[in-house]
Amino acid sequence: MLTEFLTGWITHQRWFAGKGRPIDDLTVDSDLELAPGLRHLIISVRQAGAHDRYQLLLGSDGDESARFKPAHIGDGYYDAAYDACLTGTLLEAMAADRDLGPLRFRHLEGVEIDTSLRSLVLGAEQSNTSLVYGGTYICKLFRRLIPGVNPELEIVTALARQGTTHIAQPYGWIETDLDGEPTTLAMTQEFLSNASDGWALALASVRDLYAALEPSASEAGGDFSGESFRLGKATAEVHHELAVAFPTEVIESPEVKRMVEDFRRRLAVAVAEVPQLGEYAHVAEEAYQRVADVAREMPVQRVHGDYHLGQVMRTPTDWVILDFEGEPGQPLAERRALSSPLRDVAGMLRSFDYAARHLLADHPDAEELRPRAVEWAELNRASFLAGYSAGGGHLRAEDAVLLRALELDKAAYEVVYESRNRPAWLPIPMAAFQLDR
Amino acid sequence: MSQLPEPIPNTFDEEKPRDPYWFKHAVFYEVLIRGFADSNGDGTGDIRGLIQKLDYLQWLGVDCLWLLPLYESPLRDGGYDIADFMKILPEFGDLGDFVKLVDEAHKRGMRVIADLVMNHTSDQHPWFQASRHDPEGPFGDFYVWNDNDELYKDARIIFIDTESSNWTYDPVRGQYYWHRFFSHQPDLNYENPDVQDAMLEVLRFWLDLGIDGFRMDAIPYLFEQEGTNCENLPKTHEYLKRIRAEVDRLYPDRVLLAEANQWPADVVEYFGDPASGGDECHMAFHFPLMPRIFMAVRRESRYPISEIMAQTPKIPEHCQWGIFLRNHDELTLEMVTDDERDYMYSEYAKDPRMRANVGIRRRLAPLLENDRNQIELFTALLLSLPGSPVLYYGDEIGMGDNIWLGDRDGVRTPMQWSPDRNAGFSDCDPGRLYLPVIMDPIYGYQALNVEAQQKSAGSLLHWTKRMIEIRKRHPVFGLGEYTELNSSNPSVLAFVRELGDDRMLCVNNLSRFPQPVELDLRRFEGSVPVETMGGVPFPPVGELPYLLTLPGHGFYWFTLPPASQEA
Repeated sequence: MLTEFLTGWITHQRWFAGKGRPIDDLTVDSDLELAPGLRHLIISVRQAGAHDRYQLLLGSDGDESARFKPAHIGDGYYDAAYDACLTGTLLEAMAADRDLGPLRFRHLEGVEIDTSLRSLVLGAEQSNTSLVYGGTYICKLFRRLIPGVNPELEIVTALARQGTTHIAQPYGWIETDLDGEPTTLAMTQEFLSNASDGWALALASVRDLYAALEPSASEAGGDFSGESFRLGKATAEVHHELAVAFPTEVIESPEVKRMVEDFRRRLAVAVAEVPQLGEYAHVAEEAYQRVADVAREMPVQRVHGDYHLGQVMRTPTDWVILDFEGEPGQPLAERRALSSPLRDVAGMLRSFDYAARHLLADHPDAEELRPRAVEWAELNRASFLAGYSAGGGHLRAEDAVLLRALELDKAAYEVVYESRNRPAWLPIPMAAFQLDR
Repeated sequence: MSQLPEPIPNTFDEEKPRDPYWFKHAVFYEVLIRGFADSNGDGTGDIRGLIQKLDYLQWLGVDCLWLLPLYESPLRDGGYDIADFMKILPEFGDLGDFVKLVDEAHKRGMRVIADLVMNHTSDQHPWFQASRHDPEGPFGDFYVWNDNDELYKDARIIFIDTESSNWTYDPVRGQYYWHRFFSHQPDLNYENPDVQDAMLEVLRFWLDLGIDGFRMDAIPYLFEQEGTNCENLPKTHEYLKRIRAEVDRLYPDRVLLAEANQWPADVVEYFGDPASGGDECHMAFHFPLMPRIFMAVRRESRYPISEIMAQTPKIPEHCQWGIFLRNHDELTLEMVTDDERDYMYSEYAKDPRMRANVGIRRRLAPLLENDRNQIELFTALLLSLPGSPVLYYGDEIGMGDNIWLGDRDGVRTPMQWSPDRNAGFSDCDPGRLYLPVIMDPIYGYQALNVEAQQKSAGSLLHWTKRMIEIRKRHPVFGLGEYTELNSSNPSVLAFVRELGDDRMLCVNNLSRFPQPVELDLRRFEGSVPVETMGGVPFPPVGELPYLLTLPGHGFYWFTLPPASQEA
């Protein structure tokens, strides 16, 4: 009975990964009462050979009238993530380090959790549902379950134990064993209640520059370079903390050459898919060759992995870095792999290019404004790098070659992505190959 | 002195009862006597002229006038070089005029405070003359003398444009004297108990004449101590406590306003002991806030304001900040970093003539390129951020400045009352004016004046008056808690002021472009926000984020009444 309702309901959920394909079978793997009227389910969905597992908070005795409509499952059942009367149970269990059946609720040693706060679902995301408790905590409920400890939980708890300031303080988590592996079900962090992401801040600056009478990125009122510098500094500090908290290695020149081969392979794939990139492929080829020519030892460590302006938040006092999840869509082992910290630096440099240019996409004065975009990007890239060095980041003159190659590798990926999804934005990554940097 | 009138009796009526904490919700108006109105046609404003304009100030909604120094002075520093603490500058009138001013203001429910320079005197003051000529006499120790200029090397030089040392040699006495400001302004020696008593005597003299308080100029510098920067020393605080005790004992509803251009964390010291609700100054200026309001709007980012508000400590219960956008001094940039100062210069003072010392000498309207939307946004911020707002004369009509005048005179030109000769300020020959009136095509008095704006319902003057009315209807602006709200949009500054059930939601768009914002108002669920300018009810606050859209440089003030019971 319940499984029938769930089958009808799950296909309409944003986080459901198997949209558009028929469901062969839906079973409840685990069903646990957390509190009266609140059950925790892990369900298996089988679709043409694919097997995905999802978790669900199932409410049954709440008021399922108007307020819960989007969460309505059927027969009195609803998605209890939306029921603030029930979600307090999660905070209480984490605060008390409770074990409920196979579920383990934990809190970070030394922190206090205020269990009186009521939750609100904050927008829906692809892979998780976020509950904001008061204005204080945000609890990410992972919907589709992948065996293993979530890399972000692993990183922020390790950094918090070292006293790092540029992260959102973790408070607690929920885990269980899946296929014999400890697996993160949810994690609770400080909610940055008065923060906005770097992308929005950067765009405010760019918009101001476009509208200025006397355009000059450093003189326009919306000058962002001070923020870029501070962000660079925060990035270097977090890289340093990551190197202290997790293993580091030095890879030898044969491995560096293998990395260059990967760059080349991805470039070839991109050129095959987006032929107009071919005209500029030599720019990347030359940049990659330079890395191969000078290949020598390269220090690697845990990194952010998917670093851009949308992953950093400006609070009233500082920059905070979020979502240490690694590259999205990759297997867990790859998301946790060691890499050069310059990969993050390159990601942010690309992000500055995007911020500078993305408003040009259908701008009537795009031609006229392009030099301003270039100037804005150059200024903020330089400020970010200066801040990164000032914060102790390893950035020597000889690293420029590697950094350039990492940037072009990222841009090649972007070319493919934009040509598939947002053709209007294709000129943004294409420009990376045309600039003489 | 025997011819002086008796002290002013209590003339506050039922509607304006005496209230010891009146300053916490008052609107202040800084007026330059010299520049406001000239009653006798000598080209210089005077006290009688000001008295004639009190009806205007009452109409505008002003609660308290702040007068710049009106004492006997050689006027080498705009009157901050006082040559006799107990005499009025003859151009301004006499003590009889002053008593009448206070009396007439009180009749209208307004108060009067005046600048008092505690730290130093003019070198023309009889105390200094006696001190230099007779080192052994009763005034020999009234100033800080030394045989060389080696002491207190850690004290910075404030007027870097004109001074190279804090010591100047006096050939008469054959010693150096200490001065934190101009060399013609020797610092008083507060280590000498006679100086402490003499200055208390000065305070009592004016308080007995009915004055409602003082803005105490240059307060951090009263004492010196080797090995320190000679600012904010403990002895300075001890002496301030002594002054406050005297005021509390004899003059319970007067106010002491500290001018301490320091970081908020240091300035709070001037309020004194929080346990007693404050036992030094009742008020202090919040200096760093002002340049950051400018920076925030120019960068279209709320963070410059959010940061300084986050760094502003709580102040004792019975104290209040004084906040301002512009005043008679330069827009001071001492409380910003070097980078930020460069930024402010490049944004707001492109012409070097617009700069003075460590700051910018411009009025509000020209700083904002005469953009009415920005002027309104800035004024709305001034009237809604925590503290008592101080308006600068002329800014209510958007007066301009004259950067070609020396030092800080560019922002001290005659008030523009009407399109008549000399802007209605004086009927003297134009050449006799203390400073020329503004005559440029944008800010010139022919078009920009009080008379014209009073006739036009849409003028900045009427708008300002309405905003002051709204502020005064809601004591929460003066007394309420300040909480910044989470806003997902970095260009939008949103905050709630709260005093019991009186709650005001203020949302400000710092960007020149229209912006949306989603606010988490769950704490006020069920409340129906009412916009204060027009009284229009907005949709009720629900559990979901509250969406507002704002025009470029737009702002809203909403009351948040308690949710009705039946809902």
